[in-house]
Amino acid sequence: MAPRLPLRQQDDSLRAPDLAETTPQYKKAELIMVSRATQIKERALLLLFFLCAIVAVLGVVLIFAFVAVKAVPLFKEIGFLNFIAGTKWSVAKEQFGVVPFIVGSVVVTVGALAIGAPLAILTALFLSEVAGPKARAVIRPAVELLAGIPSVVYGFFGVTVVAPIISRVFGGAGFGPLTAWIVLSIMIVPTIAMLSEDALDSIPMGIREASFAMGATPWQTIYKVVLPAAKIGIIDAAILGMGRAIGETMAVLMIVGNAPQMFAGLTKPISTLTSQIVLGMGYSSGAFRTALFGMAALLFLISMALVLIVRLLSHTDREA
Amino acid sequence: MVKMKGSILALLLVLALSLSGCTRGSTGIVVSGSTTVEPIAEVAGEDYHKAHPEVSVLVSGLGSSAGIEAVGITKTADIGTSSRSLKDEEKKLGLTVIPIAHDGIAVVVNPANTVTNLQLNDLRDIYAGKITNWNEVGGPDEPIVLVNRDESSGTRDAFTSFVMGDTPFSLDAVVLPGTGQVREVISRTKGAIGYISEGFVNKQVRALNINGIPPSPANIASNKYPLSRSLYFLARADISPEAQGYIDYVLSDAIQQGPVRDAGYLPVTGGER
Amino acid sequence: MREYFAEDRERLKELGPKAMDKAARTEAQQGRRFRERLANNAALGVLWVAAGITVAALVLIILYVLINGAPSISPKFIFTWPHGVTAQGGIWPTIISTVYVTGLAMLIATPVAVLAAVYLAEYARQGRIVTIIRFAADSLASVPSIVMGLFGLAFFVEAMHLKMSMLAAALSLALLMLPIIMRATEEAIRAVPRYIRWGSYGLGATKWQTVSKVVMPWAMPRIITGLVLAMGRAIGETAVVFYTMGMAINLPLTPLDSGRSMAVHLYMLAVDGINMPAAYGTALMLMIVILGLNSLAHFIQRRYRKVR
Repeated sequence: MAPRLPLRQQDDSLRAPDLAETTPQYKKAELIMVSRATQIKERALLLLFFLCAIVAVLGVVLIFAFVAVKAVPLFKEIGFLNFIAGTKWSVAKEQFGVVPFIVGSVVVTVGALAIGAPLAILTALFLSEVAGPKARAVIRPAVELLAGIPSVVYGFFGVTVVAPIISRVFGGAGFGPLTAWIVLSIMIVPTIAMLSEDALDSIPMGIREASFAMGATPWQTIYKVVLPAAKIGIIDAAILGMGRAIGETMAVLMIVGNAPQMFAGLTKPISTLTSQIVLGMGYSSGAFRTALFGMAALLFLISMALVLIVRLLSHTDREA
Repeated sequence: MVKMKGSILALLLVLALSLSGCTRGSTGIVVSGSTTVEPIAEVAGEDYHKAHPEVSVLVSGLGSSAGIEAVGITKTADIGTSSRSLKDEEKKLGLTVIPIAHDGIAVVVNPANTVTNLQLNDLRDIYAGKITNWNEVGGPDEPIVLVNRDESSGTRDAFTSFVMGDTPFSLDAVVLPGTGQVREVISRTKGAIGYISEGFVNKQVRALNINGIPPSPANIASNKYPLSRSLYFLARADISPEAQGYIDYVLSDAIQQGPVRDAGYLPVTGGER
Repeated sequence: MREYFAEDRERLKELGPKAMDKAARTEAQQGRRFRERLANNAALGVLWVAAGITVAALVLIILYVLINGAPSISPKFIFTWPHGVTAQGGIWPTIISTVYVTGLAMLIATPVAVLAAVYLAEYARQGRIVTIIRFAADSLASVPSIVMGLFGLAFFVEAMHLKMSMLAAALSLALLMLPIIMRATEEAIRAVPRYIRWGSYGLGATKWQTVSKVVMPWAMPRIITGLVLAMGRAIGETAVVFYTMGMAINLPLTPLDSGRSMAVHLYMLAVDGINMPAAYGTALMLMIVILGLNSLAHFIQRRYRKVR
């Protein structure tokens, strides 16, 4: 090791890391021959980059702070428990129990996931393990396009096509969880399929080769080897799809029927947290408005929790 | 990277331009409130802007309460619009109330439905969920499918005050956020009942008589039809001359006999100002 | 990765079953083999069906919008203003508002997101801060759009007094696009081969010189792909724009003007349900723009692959 010169006592983050780390025979000191001005410039840039990266953190903190703070007066007024565990929603009577909407959101999300996730995972398996280059060249872009269609268009489709069909088959007006399941499951398929496919693609070819060499059929390979290996990634994908479903707003508003009642049947209208916020925002004031912000804060916490679960899962996966 | 610097510069430039741009340009009148009034106010605004290019009218529909708040409390609007009369606490704001059109709320059913008349209290019981089958009001044996509007709707507000009073709505009703949707759903659902502005009744649905009175223009204008209301503009005492000019224009024949009628409302006759 | 293995994978798919047949010798084995082949074919059939349903759903939605919307689309529809109580006429100001707010959001989000990604990919050392930043970015990406809309309303519109404006909407949208662009950029930078950097460092370049002159140009196609996709997301976004930009039909000039985006216009026409032809027409225009952007992203990706 050459003795360190003052000029070379630099911040580690500014050196050329790859070369120095991967090829130890080069001495660190010899690589850094830059002027003071350049040093300052590099440091300033580093600071700028760091500030940009912090914007994301700032954004999340601000979002939660501003949404939650707006909800605080409500908790003082009616009590947090009456909000989160209350089953009665009536603006006129200032009853803001959100349980019916939480139940609505859960029913809609779980159903959409139960239909959409298997479809998406099977599609991903098809793309990754079965499809030839030609089939993949058609289906992959199709799935990506499906992800790009705006949610209003899905809602529009639900209102003008799916709801009338449901109405004809099951009676009623055609609005409710069943309609929402059908539309939402189509919406979340691309999210889950694309992320699952990424997970499947990251499985090394070697273990598939090994499986085939043992005489396994393609399905046995998929079922016994590939799927278990990609399990965590696929669960991640499903959770993110779930986040998409629970946060979906405009499409859901157009098809669930928006009745502020407890889940009463698959073709009976219900409300979700998101649809109720949009319906209420137009005319809300006072305690009602704070209740809507409280619901938004709740949604925010739910989505954060889902992200946290994904991160924890991925983490245990890496350690395992 | 050069491009990136360029884009930052461009952003700053846009911001600078925008700030300088605020001081000049045309006078803007902000009109916000009732979604029922919105279309009329909007068309009137466009036409007024054509005649007076120095004035531009921005119309948004947020619901009557929001409109009253916007003109009376936050003062973010020059003119508020409402499809209901002021509540007591809102009367304290000292706003001038200007009726601009009459509207009747038609109770509509599927054309295949044989019921032609409902008493007001039967209608209330239907929407309260006490009457659940059409055969209870002299119709076919068909479950009633309730279609309601969202709570921000002025039409629902009016329906509530005309029909429901303090009786709560049945929670089982489908809540739809738009008039056209209500009409669409009723036209394809045999047992459905809903309510829309009389102006939007078309061949897809059939309007019922209430207490034996059909929702005819004459009956609405004379308030004989039980579900009649007026649409209002609301202004503060310190209203600008531009905004006053716009209000006068809305009350002129050009709007009253044009867009107001097009929207299916009735013009205000006589000087109720 | 994928390109590297693609050939192997195709060969495996063909050879797998044949190799198994050879391996199956005894009758008992053949019986088992038969059942396995049956199960295999059935399962693979299911996969085909699933992929078929997914594609069918897409085709159905696109055809539905195309068939209903095509009759409404005309130069007049695109270039004139909506007029009258039921928004007769065209959608020109909503197109301009959409382009305006999306462009502004891109201007705001792109530099921040790209530089943040540069930090994460090139400068940051793994540690608590990076973990927090990544978690924040992931959270930001999963914030429901209605929550983002209410935040925009509470923060940009009300607290910062921007009113319902292009700027308030653009800032909210920028927050929405930030994690998408960040992720795409970071992945693009990480995909740049190490030897390229070594070459640059070997010539005596500083870190910043290496990043700006060598790494970024190399990663640019993939970054642009990310930008295009984020743009598509912003254009189709309704809830955020609804609460930050308003719904007044207006031709925006300054960033402090309000306006109505195409997505909001479609939403309002659709829930209103009076002027359905215009709703279908707007839906089709929206789809054309977004599918166009997606195709552009694919085109850039393909070109990039060929060049490499």
